[in-house]
Amino acid sequence: MPAVPFEYHAPATLSEALELLQAHAGDAKPLAGGQSLVPMLTLRLARPAVVVDLHRLHELEEVRRDNGVLEIGALARHRALERGEGLLSACPLLQEAAPLIGNVRVRTLGTLGGSLAHADPAAELPAVVRALDGTLVLRSLRGERAVPAQDFFVGILTTALQPDELLIAVRLPIFGPGVGCAVEEFSRRAGDFAIVASVAVVELDPAGRVARARVALAGVGPTPQRLAGAEEALVGVQPSAETFRKALAGRPLEIEPESDIHASAAYRHHLARVLTARALERASAAAGRPIR
Amino acid sequence: MTELSIVFTLNGERREIRAPAHHTLLHVLRDGLGAVEVKEGCGEGVCGTCTVLLDGEPVSSCLVLAGRVAGRDVTTIRGLGNGETLHPLQEEFVAHGGAQCGFCTPGMILTAYAFLREHPHPTRADIRRAIAGNLCRCTGYTKIIDAIAAAADRETRPRG
Amino acid sequence: MAKCTAVSRTEQLRVVGRRLPRHDAWDKAQARTLYAADWQMPGMLHGAVLRSPYPSARITRIDTTRGAGLPGVAAVLTAREVPHNTLWTDVPGQTSAVGPLRAHLQVLAEDRVRYQGEPVALVAAQTPEIAAQALELIEVAYEEQPGVFDPEEALRPGAPPVHEEGNLLARWQVRCGDVDAALARAHVVVEHTYRCHFIDHAYLEPEAGVAWVDADGVIVIRASTQVIEHFRDVAEVLGLPHNKVRMIGPYVGGGFGGKEDVTVEVFLGLLAWRTRRPVRMVWSRQESLLARPKRHPFILRYRTGAERDGTLVAQKVELLADSGAYAFLSALVLMYATVTAAGPYRAPHVAVDARVAYTNNPPTSAMRGFGAMQMVLGYESQMDQVARRLDLDPVELRVRNGLRKGDRLPIRQELDTYVAVAEAAQRAWGTLGPRRAPSTPHHRVGRGLACNLQPYGRIVWLHDWASAWVGFETDGSVVIRTGVPDVGGGQASSLCQIAAEVLGVEPDRVSIHIADSALTPLAGTTTATRQLYMSGNAVLHAATQLRRQILDVAAQMLEIPADRVDLQESSAVAPDGRRVSLVQLMRECTRLGVSRSYLGVYRAPAGDPVDLERGGGRVFPDYTFGAHAVEVEVDSETGAVTVLRHVACHDVGRAINPQSVEGQIQGGAVMGLGYGLMEEVVVDRGVNLSTSLAAYLIPTSLDVPDVEPVIIQSGEGKGPFGARGIGEPPIGPPAAAIANAIEDAIGVRITELPITPERVARALGLVTNG
Repeated sequence: MPAVPFEYHAPATLSEALELLQAHAGDAKPLAGGQSLVPMLTLRLARPAVVVDLHRLHELEEVRRDNGVLEIGALARHRALERGEGLLSACPLLQEAAPLIGNVRVRTLGTLGGSLAHADPAAELPAVVRALDGTLVLRSLRGERAVPAQDFFVGILTTALQPDELLIAVRLPIFGPGVGCAVEEFSRRAGDFAIVASVAVVELDPAGRVARARVALAGVGPTPQRLAGAEEALVGVQPSAETFRKALAGRPLEIEPESDIHASAAYRHHLARVLTARALERASAAAGRPIR
Repeated sequence: MTELSIVFTLNGERREIRAPAHHTLLHVLRDGLGAVEVKEGCGEGVCGTCTVLLDGEPVSSCLVLAGRVAGRDVTTIRGLGNGETLHPLQEEFVAHGGAQCGFCTPGMILTAYAFLREHPHPTRADIRRAIAGNLCRCTGYTKIIDAIAAAADRETRPRG
Repeated sequence: MAKCTAVSRTEQLRVVGRRLPRHDAWDKAQARTLYAADWQMPGMLHGAVLRSPYPSARITRIDTTRGAGLPGVAAVLTAREVPHNTLWTDVPGQTSAVGPLRAHLQVLAEDRVRYQGEPVALVAAQTPEIAAQALELIEVAYEEQPGVFDPEEALRPGAPPVHEEGNLLARWQVRCGDVDAALARAHVVVEHTYRCHFIDHAYLEPEAGVAWVDADGVIVIRASTQVIEHFRDVAEVLGLPHNKVRMIGPYVGGGFGGKEDVTVEVFLGLLAWRTRRPVRMVWSRQESLLARPKRHPFILRYRTGAERDGTLVAQKVELLADSGAYAFLSALVLMYATVTAAGPYRAPHVAVDARVAYTNNPPTSAMRGFGAMQMVLGYESQMDQVARRLDLDPVELRVRNGLRKGDRLPIRQELDTYVAVAEAAQRAWGTLGPRRAPSTPHHRVGRGLACNLQPYGRIVWLHDWASAWVGFETDGSVVIRTGVPDVGGGQASSLCQIAAEVLGVEPDRVSIHIADSALTPLAGTTTATRQLYMSGNAVLHAATQLRRQILDVAAQMLEIPADRVDLQESSAVAPDGRRVSLVQLMRECTRLGVSRSYLGVYRAPAGDPVDLERGGGRVFPDYTFGAHAVEVEVDSETGAVTVLRHVACHDVGRAINPQSVEGQIQGGAVMGLGYGLMEEVVVDRGVNLSTSLAAYLIPTSLDVPDVEPVIIQSGEGKGPFGARGIGEPPIGPPAAAIANAIEDAIGVRITELPITPERVARALGLVTNG
């Protein structure tokens, strides 16, 4: 079915886009890759009065590397992440996570910023950014602010973005040797949103023990969840399939998943444990290997 | 409501259309331009029957707003082969029984076409991954994969 | 053990048995096939349906004023504007009386809605957008009513009645021997309850069509359907003579039983008749998943008794199915279940008690396998457990008990063609090859087998028939006209191969015109695995008679007896090599006034309605037998099941086109895997939660293996050249084969479908709470 008619703008510059968002604050929806918003429009689940299409803002596709930080423009496409194009290869975790997103058509048009701003609790990239302690750069005519990932994701499909603000870039740390990352995803069917996905970032000390672990989960709460308690408990662990399972087994995970038609809360809880152990195992193995 | 005037290239031909901004490329192609070779199977980008190539890359035409195609190249299955001679992928779909009801076929072939240009020598597992976003309800996929594998063994030079 | 009989005529066949691209393949590969939604006409309006959001409610008021007043709206119809608001839904396309199985529904809801998605009003407007807007402006006041959402609850006293006549829609029974006494004497008795679920056909082409009123006042409806004979239903609803409605069936983008019942046809007829303009109606995927009948969920209670050596002695089965809010084909689906519930095995003592109940759930009706496929989970899970209890090899148990030619089913129908149970079980299992090693220490590998039987052709008391016209043009090219809808199974193409075989021409010299109720001789429905059997026999008969006609003329021209003339390479040929081309022959036929065409009618074996309980004898013309063997890997930490190998073996009698046969087997098996592992229409108190293809999961290429077909050609089917139907049979075994393989891998028995990772995890005790 066609969408409910709306006023459409495709600004050529960022400032023009921000002016439009301010002028129509509350009534306007920014459109990035459109892979989540367009179906909501055509199924008439979203009925914005104004759509501000960002596809001409090529400045938001740029990727910069600066002082150990990778700054990725919000309109970087999943396909570019998947292929590790140019500087993006500095973040192998994105390269591992991107192929898990939807299908090839979604990845052709879908963008990093679009996925983060949409904030689907089962989506892969929000969990990746959360695990990496990324920073999101938001801009409006009022100015620019950098919001840590932990403050950006507020609830189901809800973020810290104000109606006049646009997510313009994401800053992620670039790791040296000794740090490894992995994503383990479980979905009912190839390419679907995760029932649970676990993203692990493991830093090993010179003795090969866990110096620091970061774990973020998708599909187990309204926003991507970090496992602070488990992360603490993992410090000092000698990586192996058994030690990780043991470290995670004794404690309740700090998550409160909900049931839906695809999985119960209890099963998600179980999967969170299994997938996290597997992600930690692979991340540790990667940490032990020299960086490509 | 915004009415747009859009110029783009469809299968190598310049097209100029007027369309409301809230219409998708799928509407424009099927209802505006009579390009009914593009099918609608789900309207939310899951099934792959509406696949077209946008500047050579596969997209769900049901998830592209009309305004987005201005100045760009859109390829439907009519952009492969030329009516008289079939593209090798089309020939192999015929030879291997890759089309049963045929409804997924145009999207499937376009996805395979874009894939083979990037990966000219795929394994069977690569092909499985490549077409995972295009649903087929008739064949069980085996004969589709057979057809794509056979086409990969032949020249897959892009059109024109 | 019976060996597969050699097919005597194989070496003589020139076209039948050849692996050929279908004649429609070229158009499909170029997307030139015009499906129902691709049809456009000048001045065409767009139709849309307003549907009930409630599963059980009273309609207290409908006000269409605002919708009808919207500029661009040409018509708004409610039940009041429908001339005859009853739509008969039993035995589509059937022309003979069906007695107590008559079922019906309201075209548009009058004062009561019984399921979510029930049609309430129709709109025709200049654009789909205006039609959508008009739907939003129609005001309907609903008063929600108590509903019932479970078939067991529906049959309890005091349950809210879905219909006035009560919630028990139909029941069937089979009695053979003394089952209770046999169970009491049996060495082992295995008892289990199995549950299967709602699923959707989910063909990729949603329901669509265009209707217009032709110059002579005939309503023409070109719609995606398996049954062009719904033209009669449209005429009845409109109160028109049947000859004033014509149905054209374009190539269908998948049917699987979901386009057997009426979808858009009646709505299109009403709107075109009212507006006198062409009207198109295309359902969205969401509407398709919400509104159309599903596959029947069943509760299956099995008690199976066997002797120490594995000989089955008794099979006691209780079945309860959910019909949803209307009857549609439920009574017949239940009958297929009843007849096949004991499986393809000899058991001297059988009792089957089957019931189907109304609920306020989505209606259920035909889907590939039609009641018989749901039974496989029951009888094949039971067989494996009998084997396990007796420590017998699962293949050996099936070979020992498998039905054979000459045996009788529990309904006392004698099996008078080859019965491939034992052969299929052995060949499927044997093809699996060496067992794979698990991919990680957390994985386990297991194997499972499941056999099945599936009728082909319609119930004999429906007196089924099909007709086909076959003729030569003056240039020797061949034309077939037959009312067969082609749903993608290669129905039309196989007919071309049959005619080409008999008439001695290459298949590309044959054109076929199908599925037009006004212009093609009627051939019945493309359902019930009947078209190759029925229309194949009709074409075979017509072509054979036509051959006879022209051979007489050729014999005169060649001056030899007719029985020494052969037709080959578009010529009539004498044994000494002299030949007359078909062009010359047709010229001579014309000169002599000998007809160049023949209208063939094939009538299936007919019978009277039987009393299943007393053992009435023949219910179906014949059955197709098969077996699937699978190897699965189970992730013992998550419960995820991966199918590593899948061998599907069926006796197809004769493969008219081996490529089409393989395609049917592979596609059917994968649909069966989807049914077993992931597909489910989740219904919560009558509300459908699976109304998108993101929520309703059908398998992608990554979720299934390459299914390996093993084709048995016994030559003993009742179709042309000894063929059996193969459309439905392959969907039956996969779910049970997987359940059996899972027990082999991890030692737990899953009794409820779909076998989701969570169900496996729970069976393994990995998840206990919630």
